[in-house]
Amino acid sequence: MAEIEPYENALDAIPGAHPYPRTSRYHDAEIGVHRLPDGTEVRYTKRRLLPPLEETGDATHTHTVRTGERPDLLGQRYFGDPGQWWQIADANPVLDPRELTDEPGREVGVPLAGHFPQGPQGVRRG
Amino acid sequence: MAELPVGRGPVHITLHMGPKLAKPVPAEVAEALLSAQITATAGERSGFQLAFDLTKNGLISRTLLPEGFFDPKTRLIVTVTVRGTPEVLFDGLVVRQEVGASNQPGHSTLTVTGEDLSLLMDLEERTDRYPNLPPSQRVLAILRRYSDYGIRPDVYTEKVSQPPHQDLRVHYQTSTDLQYINELARANGYTFYLEPGPNPGQSSARWGPEVRLGIRQHALNVNMDANSTVDQLTFAYDGTAREEPQARWQDPGTRQSTLLPQPPISPLRPPLGKRPTPALKRRTLSGTAKHQREQAEAELLARAAVSADVVSGSGSLDVNRHGYILQPRQLVGVRGSGRTYDGDYFVKSVTHILRPGSFQQNFTLSREGLEARSAYVRP
Repeated sequence: MAEIEPYENALDAIPGAHPYPRTSRYHDAEIGVHRLPDGTEVRYTKRRLLPPLEETGDATHTHTVRTGERPDLLGQRYFGDPGQWWQIADANPVLDPRELTDEPGREVGVPLAGHFPQGPQGVRRG
Repeated sequence: MAELPVGRGPVHITLHMGPKLAKPVPAEVAEALLSAQITATAGERSGFQLAFDLTKNGLISRTLLPEGFFDPKTRLIVTVTVRGTPEVLFDGLVVRQEVGASNQPGHSTLTVTGEDLSLLMDLEERTDRYPNLPPSQRVLAILRRYSDYGIRPDVYTEKVSQPPHQDLRVHYQTSTDLQYINELARANGYTFYLEPGPNPGQSSARWGPEVRLGIRQHALNVNMDANSTVDQLTFAYDGTAREEPQARWQDPGTRQSTLLPQPPISPLRPPLGKRPTPALKRRTLSGTAKHQREQAEAELLARAAVSADVVSGSGSLDVNRHGYILQPRQLVGVRGSGRTYDGDYFVKSVTHILRPGSFQQNFTLSREGLEARSAYVRP
């Protein structure tokens, strides 16, 4: 992994040059290049796999769903940003995020603040 | 659902401490934190200062402090979560601690001061020879010794390639590793710094040109009524800061000395301002005549590039109002300060000041000319 990069790369691999901001769940997703038959290159975001769920419940704390709650309201309540609902959805394997809060009384695991969801493998350049 | 409490403040701070392998601190230590101040500068060492409340019979004064929890060379990692997005602000070592015992209850404090992991490279002087290695490979060879602290080398080849000749000259290191790396960076117009993250316990050691291209961070707004994010912003324009270095080089075969041509600095520093500043001073570099020609050229380029920054700005912002953490050593746009000083800047240094209920940042900006190059900045 310890390699010397050519000088030209120094201004290529720029932190923050990723199309998704730090708050996005696609920030660490890989960008792929698809080549059309006529040779033009199309960039696309590769499929994002869910980070592995933690075996122990250390990294989450439990929230009991009440009537009328939605994932974005939980995001606002626990992270201060409604756009962060995907962190709760990541920690609870459901197919549709709305399933999280469908039934009142359901227990939902909310990641703790300061928890790095991408784990040790999410190393980005820069 | 308006009666729901809105979080416990959108900023959370997490501390990891321990010898070499840092672990999350006990809850009592995190609760006792009074303030944290972290400084990160391009091309210099970062530092931190944390103040803890030292209660008489608390866990810190009873067990942790005498057991050496805050001893020098303890590793300390500070992570800050803004709006659910964690960011490693600092990864370093404790250097010094101060205990201020007070007669008034609740006023005793423990202040811990430290520096970032490049302190490790500055501890012992080393004499080493690097036969037939160009500067970037010498840096890589040095950085490999520190991989057990999670330091990942991020080294780039030099702009002016300097092929080594073992039969002519063998490069020697006589100072500490950090001094030698910095010396090599200066001779090539590069900077060396440790960037903590992306995960706690990791950091990347960048030896390369400053990041002066790419997507800008979210713009700093000043003097824009409710949209301003910056409390105050001061700019200074120093006309004498830029100098035009001159270097002579002597051909060992013919003994002819030639004046090296002025290199364009834009590959190393892409221009950020529209109106470049003319160099008022002219200086002659000493000692370049005896170097290899490539080395003399690199030094000329480095000196011309480093002195190019004449416009500097400084100010402070509130992270809660700005919404993002301003990162040092990257580009940022400024708007609202008038036509002359608007535009893109390089963030030279940032001081994070964290207290319960507030997260302030003091920053300094720099660039090489007046007026914005483009009519827009990234909002």
